[in-house]
Amino acid sequence: MAKRFSRRAVLAQIAVGAGVAGFGFPIPHAYSASDDRPWAFFTDDEARWIAAVVDVFIPQDEFPSASQAGVVDFIDNQMATQYGEGDGLYLEPPFPAGVPEQGYQLEFTPAQLLRQGIEQARQLGEIATMDATARAAHVEELHQREGITSVLIAEIWKLTRQGYFADPIYLGNHDYAGWRMVGFPGAHAYYTERVDEHRRSVTPPPRGIAHDRGGSPFPPRAIRGGAE
Amino acid sequence: MMVKTLPRTDVLIIGAGWTGLTAAYELAHAGQRCVVLERGRKRHTATSFSAPEEHDELKYAHRYAHMMDVKKETLTIRNNRDQQALPMRRLGSFLPGSGLGGAGIHWNGQLWRPLPSDLQMRSHYEERYGKDFIGPELSVQDWGVTYEELEPHLDFFERICGAAGQAGNLGGEARPGGNVFEGPRSADYPNPPMRQPVSNTLFGEAAARMGLNPFPMPSANVTRAYENPYGAQLHPCTYCGFCERFGCGYYAKADPIICVYDRIKDHENFEIRFDAQVLRIEKSADGKTATGAIYLDENGEEMFQPANTICMCAYALWNVHLMLVSGLGKPYDPKTRTGVVGRNYSYQTVAGVDAFFDRTVETDPYMGAGALGVVIDDFNGDNFDHSELGFVGGGYIACKQYHGRPIGYQPVPEGTPKWGAEWKRAVRENYNHHADLVVHGSSVSTPENYLDLDPTWTDAYGRPLLRMTFDFPENDRKMSDFMMQRAMEVAREMDNVTSVSGTNLAAVDKHYDIVPYQTTHNVGGAVIGTNPQTSVVNRYGQMWDHHNVFVFGACLFPQNLGYNPTGPLMGLAYWTLDHMKRDYLPNPAPLMDA
Ligand SMILES: Cc1cc2nc3c(=O)[nH]c(=O)nc-3n(C[C@H](O)[C@H](O)[C@H](O)COP(=O)(O)OP(=O)(O)OC[C@H]3O[C@@H](n4cnc5c(N)ncnc54)[C@H](O)[C@@H]3O)c2cc1C
Ligand code: SF4
Repeated sequence: MAKRFSRRAVLAQIAVGAGVAGFGFPIPHAYSASDDRPWAFFTDDEARWIAAVVDVFIPQDEFPSASQAGVVDFIDNQMATQYGEGDGLYLEPPFPAGVPEQGYQLEFTPAQLLRQGIEQARQLGEIATMDATARAAHVEELHQREGITSVLIAEIWKLTRQGYFADPIYLGNHDYAGWRMVGFPGAHAYYTERVDEHRRSVTPPPRGIAHDRGGSPFPPRAIRGGAE
Repeated sequence: MMVKTLPRTDVLIIGAGWTGLTAAYELAHAGQRCVVLERGRKRHTATSFSAPEEHDELKYAHRYAHMMDVKKETLTIRNNRDQQALPMRRLGSFLPGSGLGGAGIHWNGQLWRPLPSDLQMRSHYEERYGKDFIGPELSVQDWGVTYEELEPHLDFFERICGAAGQAGNLGGEARPGGNVFEGPRSADYPNPPMRQPVSNTLFGEAAARMGLNPFPMPSANVTRAYENPYGAQLHPCTYCGFCERFGCGYYAKADPIICVYDRIKDHENFEIRFDAQVLRIEKSADGKTATGAIYLDENGEEMFQPANTICMCAYALWNVHLMLVSGLGKPYDPKTRTGVVGRNYSYQTVAGVDAFFDRTVETDPYMGAGALGVVIDDFNGDNFDHSELGFVGGGYIACKQYHGRPIGYQPVPEGTPKWGAEWKRAVRENYNHHADLVVHGSSVSTPENYLDLDPTWTDAYGRPLLRMTFDFPENDRKMSDFMMQRAMEVAREMDNVTSVSGTNLAAVDKHYDIVPYQTTHNVGGAVIGTNPQTSVVNRYGQMWDHHNVFVFGACLFPQNLGYNPTGPLMGLAYWTLDHMKRDYLPNPAPLMDA
């Protein structure tokens, strides 16, 4: 199992004081691997599978990977709330297949899509046993396949970017990982005097809707057993 | 279930966006008792849109919290008549509004006027290039109303919005720094242009070096403290970057709530009902007039609101839908090419160009505003010679900075993998070094692009969904390609630019796609004109078939111009209201002979 996907390994590093220099900034909340906060929607197996996939999309470098930034927590929360339940989605039958230009035409809410899609995808390969290269190829293959796994991967990719860059009140973008990475200052925005100065920017430290300088007080849950 | 009949009102207005609230303001002051029915909820700029809560990119820009709910009403979509249209199950390509203020609370505020020649598109091209220049497959036509007639109304709406800009043609006199191609203006903009960030400035400098004519985009993001003619107070824009798709809690973006609603809400002739979904308009026994509307009130009970006059202000698409489900006007049939309701639906042809700077130019894209841009109009309308080009129309090319929010704004150079480590690095390295150019192009009408009712799917109220049949006409694919090449030339000329790439949503091998956002500029379907065979309303916005029904919004456009629609459609709204007050209400009868 590739170590880079494991939240537990990362947390273990922090616990032994192995330093987090690679992150470019400290992680204030070091949860232990015994974190047993339950998922709102996912099973542990699903969470591990999702963690592996989102880390293919956004792997760790000087900035956290998607799962390290709380993207699994974000998706879990989205699936358990209005978006996952199909808000903003017209789900009246019938459901004939269309052309891509006609958009989403499945009968599933996002939560149903993830549940059923992950089940199918897990039958097509054991992501847990793959190294990083094989994982990337596997995700690509799931995306190219005809059928539900392709829609699933596109949906998770969209959710990954949302989780990495949305305000931390939604449990992703932990410690403003995404905002620090690009230099986005956040929700408190008054630039009348600066906009036409054309000088090299000094981006203020990010601050979200909850005014929290450190991001959300809820760190990502540990992925038990590591990301698959 | 019994339908309850309410006391009669003078004027019934369907929809509380820019057009509906403006109709209410003007007609209430003309002594008419007005009832506005709005399907969405009550909300207010002061209480509903304040920062930092409003600055929630996920909720407003990606979950569409301010927009209409497709669970209640949506449409079906297909590219041509051989396909089965399927439901638009999620919002995407366009984002219609719902609730007080309509889409006007979450627009960008790019505030344009049409070119004089835009309004006489067919006769103008025929005169300049010959009778056969517009191909037989296009149903392009004149609006039946001229720029000179609309000018006072275009000007008035700019003052309602506190528009910020630089005149280029003041009463026929050229003004440096403005749009040299615009029609003559009776007055300058009420407020000075916006402050421009570095990306837009470098675009303007490059365009000027190439002999083109850059100018600041006209904006309803207000640049200083301002009072509009209705007495509304607006404040200067903070360039907060949460503008389009969001409401502006700073009172800096002109919206229909602060600019109009607050100034009419306490008037004795004004009443508004929220959560009031109009289901259909009823007709008199002889079919010549409308008698009122059936709607569901906030308790889900059916009401009949009788009225002497009806103003349809429900947005372009839903006006057409209401006509079709109510049997107002004659529906268009593409097989026989007869009928008018649903005819000449068109859209906007958009291409994007990305320019990437070297490390020395830092753009800070989060500092932005909905209408913050520098524009060239050299290739819009018929501002350039079309004789050798094989298409009609054009568009503006703008460098804009308005949406540098990190979920939606991840520009990466061509060739970057779609995800993974390299993608991540490219996002990080380019976020702060990117210029965002857009080609905002016209859209011609054709006999095959139209709106009617879907045979299969229904909305939450049991009505057939609207069915949209649309693809980009050949003319527009050529136009968009030509325009994108021009935009790329300017991008390459910009200082410190290291790479340039373009995406044409109307490229030759692509079909219109309902998924990616393009514009909420759905136009046509109930067009204005002087011939009842080819228009739903006469040149005053009055239905040919039902003289007490007046129609507002972009459904009136016979084809789409290269500009955003709200300036032009509000010019038409004030023109219609003027004729209602002066000519129609004293003597309710057709204002033109059929
Ligand atoms: C993100 C975005 C950015 C935009 N940017 C620009 C821009 O920069 N420049 C520009 O010119 N334009 C822009 N537009 C377009 C602009 O918002 C519209 O042209 C304008 O708001 C149209 O006004 P309207 O009154 O015709 O319709 P709307 O504002 O849509 O109002 C119609 C109202 O009618 C209500 N309604 C509909 N059906 C019913 C029914 N059956 N019963 C009761 N009520 C009903 C709706 O709920 C809505 O409130 C933008 C739009 C969007 C979404
Ligand atoms: S950019 Fe300006 S006009 Fe737009 S929402 Fe922010 S303050 Fe308001």
